[in-house]
Amino acid sequence: MVISVWRYSHLLFAIISSIFLLIASITGIILSVEPITKKVAPYSVSGADELSLAETIKTLNKTYEEVLAISRDRNGFVSITAIVGGKNETFYVDPFTGEKLGNLIQKKPLFQFATNLHRSLFLKSTGRFLIGMASFLLILISISGIILIAKRQGGYKHFFASVVRENFSQYHHVIYARLSLIPLLIIALTGVYLSLLRFNIIPDTQVSLQVDFNTIHDEPQQEFTAFPIFKKTALSELRTLEYPFSEFVEDYYIIRLKDKEIYLNQVTGEILAEENYPIIQVMSSWATVLHTGDGSIIWSIILGLGSLAIPFLTVTGFIIYFKRPKTKIKNKYKKKDSDHLILVGTEGGTTLQFAQELHKQLIAVGKKSYLGLMNQYSYFQKMEHLIVITATYGQGEAPASAEKFMHLLKKHPQQKAFKFSVIGFGSTAYPNFCQFAYETQKALNTLEKSTEYQKVFTVNDQSFESFANWTNAWSKQAGLTLHLEKPTLPTKSQPASTFKILKKVEISEDDTFLLSLKDLNGAKPVSGDLLSIIPAKGAHERLYSIGKLNSDTLVISIRRHEYGLCSNYLHQLKEKEELTATVVQNRNFHFPKNAKKTILIATGTGIGPFLGMIDENTKKKEIHLYWGARTTNSFNLYKEHINRALEFGKLTNFKTAYSRNQTKKNYVQHLIKKDEKLFLETLNDKGCIMICGSIAMQKEVIKELQQLCIDHLEKDLSYYQNRKQIKMDCY
Amino acid sequence: MKNIVLKTASAIILIAALFVFSAFEEKAEVSYKCMIQMMNYTGEKAYVVVSLINPEGMYEKTLYVQGDDKEWFPDLKKWWIFSDNAKENLDAISGATIGNGERNIISLGFNSEQINAGYKIRFESAVENQEYYPQDAEIELNTATIKNKVGGTGYIRYIRMVPNR
Repeated sequence: MVISVWRYSHLLFAIISSIFLLIASITGIILSVEPITKKVAPYSVSGADELSLAETIKTLNKTYEEVLAISRDRNGFVSITAIVGGKNETFYVDPFTGEKLGNLIQKKPLFQFATNLHRSLFLKSTGRFLIGMASFLLILISISGIILIAKRQGGYKHFFASVVRENFSQYHHVIYARLSLIPLLIIALTGVYLSLLRFNIIPDTQVSLQVDFNTIHDEPQQEFTAFPIFKKTALSELRTLEYPFSEFVEDYYIIRLKDKEIYLNQVTGEILAEENYPIIQVMSSWATVLHTGDGSIIWSIILGLGSLAIPFLTVTGFIIYFKRPKTKIKNKYKKKDSDHLILVGTEGGTTLQFAQELHKQLIAVGKKSYLGLMNQYSYFQKMEHLIVITATYGQGEAPASAEKFMHLLKKHPQQKAFKFSVIGFGSTAYPNFCQFAYETQKALNTLEKSTEYQKVFTVNDQSFESFANWTNAWSKQAGLTLHLEKPTLPTKSQPASTFKILKKVEISEDDTFLLSLKDLNGAKPVSGDLLSIIPAKGAHERLYSIGKLNSDTLVISIRRHEYGLCSNYLHQLKEKEELTATVVQNRNFHFPKNAKKTILIATGTGIGPFLGMIDENTKKKEIHLYWGARTTNSFNLYKEHINRALEFGKLTNFKTAYSRNQTKKNYVQHLIKKDEKLFLETLNDKGCIMICGSIAMQKEVIKELQQLCIDHLEKDLSYYQNRKQIKMDCY
Repeated sequence: MKNIVLKTASAIILIAALFVFSAFEEKAEVSYKCMIQMMNYTGEKAYVVVSLINPEGMYEKTLYVQGDDKEWFPDLKKWWIFSDNAKENLDAISGATIGNGERNIISLGFNSEQINAGYKIRFESAVENQEYYPQDAEIELNTATIKNKVGGTGYIRYIRMVPNR
């Protein structure tokens, strides 16, 4: 539950402050431009910083009737206030010549507007408080965000490791949060500091120098050009210099330098009083510079980009929240009365939907089933079967609802003997596939009263099909008959279409056949999409990868199993007969548009989608096809397609491995080592490797590729997987 | 005929004389340097308005506004009623606000007729969310006493004035 606490506080702070943070960040983006427009104004005089105060004052006094003050701002522009024609005027000057360079930069109405909105929302003190509060919440959001990223990445050490991609919002939320973390924290901290200063919670201490007027002397008289402080102080040190109000000796120069304030006798040049700025004033000055970017173009840009991240993170953050499915658990039986316990370890809740279906069906056949989270593990009086269904979080850690599970196992020993089964949910596209499920299995095995009922079963990519397979196997063993209904997951399937069988090609010795279909309803699949076929009423769907040969011919490659319901159904179809099926989008297995080089690896009927991809390669990009099968005979089914593709240059290269031809078995993964140069080139040149076929083959191929990465590349295979350079569709 | 010529000539001379006179009057401006020294109060930077008060005790015109954000002008209520009604152009006579303990030196110009004629210079001040002082300090426009340091009652510690060089 620890993750949940952070996650909920992260969300809660974001909800409370979102409106204010959005306003502050958008105005912040506008305001970040202001220091840049100032800095590029032509009032900087090169070499002026090295000029001494004595020289500067001399030049200015000569040029103007009466000078009241000289200032130097954070941009290094020197301005003076002088009486010109009886009127006060403030303007930029060239300190070498005293020449007026231009009037003070007036705050543009847009910036004035943005500043007011940014600071106080036009609500004066109330608004200042709200913005200050939002700024404080931003600190909390950042901190909870750091913790969440660390948890997700599996520790602070992996904080900057590559991010596992689930969807656009989640991926970019993490990526941009990490990038903008430091500017955002600085903006938030300085923002809070400035607010506290405004409300006098941090006292705004000023230097208050005292002059002892009894000890002021009017001799020895000295020219101001000879005053040591004027001679030795460079203009770069200056903030402001105020001239004495009148010529009386009691009036003095007030000099504010970068680090201190000095009162100077105007006749003798003697220092009357001097004090360094208190630490709070120095901090306040830094806070202002860091928050506004005043005087630095680069920092202003960083601040602007940091501000830009806030609306982006807010939007993606809320998308993540709303996309997360929420399922409520309802239980008919109390846990102490239940004989079947289903415990779920889930991060977002998708796993729970499957568990809920199983739970419902168990109750339907009269079992007392209790559905709970893994964190609710306790003493179950009547438990006979324990079914754990769990996802894996980050690098093989427990998901949110299972964090305390390992601890609870030890804390609540069971009195009654029970059987257990573990199902892991995950994606083979990521390393540490179903890691936590294996660990749960191990831990359950060590318990005194437990008996392993089945080995860990893994479900890839929320495949309902494989979950149903497990349910069948499990219920058969338990002597039950369960029929799961497919939960409505947000998959992008199109409505069912009718297809006409154009051609069926088959080779009997290999039990495989190729069906060419014509779409009659206008479904628009892409090679790599799936065709969902339900062979009989009430049967489960079967999925086949589609190869698209031309605008209306699809091809699916099928192995016929002796008792396979669907493969036999498809096999008995004759040419010109019709078939009802649904196209399911499978965006993760589309041919890469931008890769220059692509390697396709398939075994057996896995070649199906690749036939379409190769056929569509009219631009004649480099495609290498590796295919593994039992015997050379298996190839006859695809021979025509492949040979034509090679002839027309749509396929660059075709290599095969036959496992039953020679005495020494040859598998497709063995080809990788032979052609390692090509594989390395493809990974390095942002090419793509696509794998289609059996899970067993996929595991072997991934092992080989992983070895290649370890031996020759600096990055782990997961890096390429995350960049979609490795695409897989295995079953 | 002669009469008409004489009348016209005298009219022209009269108008010309008026012009000359008024031009002369324009030139007779007296300028003072004025220092506003703020107290060590706590809070935001103070808004200070310097206005000329006529012998009847009414606002004559605004001389200087220390404060550049118009959003806060209405906080100086009494002055704002006058200035807003008179539609004064304040842009040319506004300057930056200054904080507590700081000082500001400005130049104020007067018509020579207004000197020693019962006119006063009024300083009123306000700070965000704090009290408004409609008469923080007031100085008589009198050559004999104008150089005296005048203490303030609000955010202003004192005012000093000297004739400009």
